[in-house]
Amino acid sequence: MGDYKSVRIAAGRGGWGGPLVIQPNSTRNLIYSVTGGGIHPVAQRIAELTGGEPFDGFRSSAPFDRIAVAVIDCGGTARIGVYPMKKVPTVDVHPTSPAGPLAMFIKEDIFVSGVKPENVTEA
Amino acid sequence: MEVTRYATEVTAVGALVPDFVEQQILVFFSDAAPEELHDFSVLHHPTVAKSGLTTGDEVVIDGTTMRVLSVGDLAEQNLLALGHLNLKANGASQAPLPGDVCVEARALPIPRPGSKLWITGTLTPP
Repeated sequence: MGDYKSVRIAAGRGGWGGPLVIQPNSTRNLIYSVTGGGIHPVAQRIAELTGGEPFDGFRSSAPFDRIAVAVIDCGGTARIGVYPMKKVPTVDVHPTSPAGPLAMFIKEDIFVSGVKPENVTEA
Repeated sequence: MEVTRYATEVTAVGALVPDFVEQQILVFFSDAAPEELHDFSVLHHPTVAKSGLTTGDEVVIDGTTMRVLSVGDLAEQNLLALGHLNLKANGASQAPLPGDVCVEARALPIPRPGSKLWITGTLTPP
């Protein structure tokens, strides 16, 4: 696994931010799903197109510097800001906009929301 | 007929929780949550996780009882799948964000390890 491809992740209906272009590399290869109930279909699609490794954040933990992109299903308060704060590109499957106590970290170049699998395309 | 929808015991309280409480917010996550969420979260280990919640329910933290005024569309999924609850003491009768559970505007208690939280209600959640 050394051959990673890049993807473009655009905001879906009602979403905000992005588009993000994500290309994993040998050190940052995790497609980190922090959604509960396993790997979210959006994370699955990003992993399939890039060659990155799907990783369930609720089953084990990973250092931030190994995460290529974090996929969350956040309603707008907590997770929405944590990963951008750590400079990890973040994809929310719900159509949220910057809000909550961590809103200051949520910028278009690191966050995109309302994303469905079809909003993830080869770059 | 009042039912206990959810009951849990606090296992750890993140260092940033008091800052969130100052903003009238308490964030809960089950203790299976990734480490990066621990700083601002109240971590807990549920013993009852029967259903989501609805307007009119009571959220009890130790000796403090709060009435639920509004519930966002994602609150049930968050609670049952992740033990995740965003409790906001904002007095909102319409939840501003889909993950919100809003109670009356009041000072929120700061839980401690060993604190008990439970949610009771009489109506069937929608």
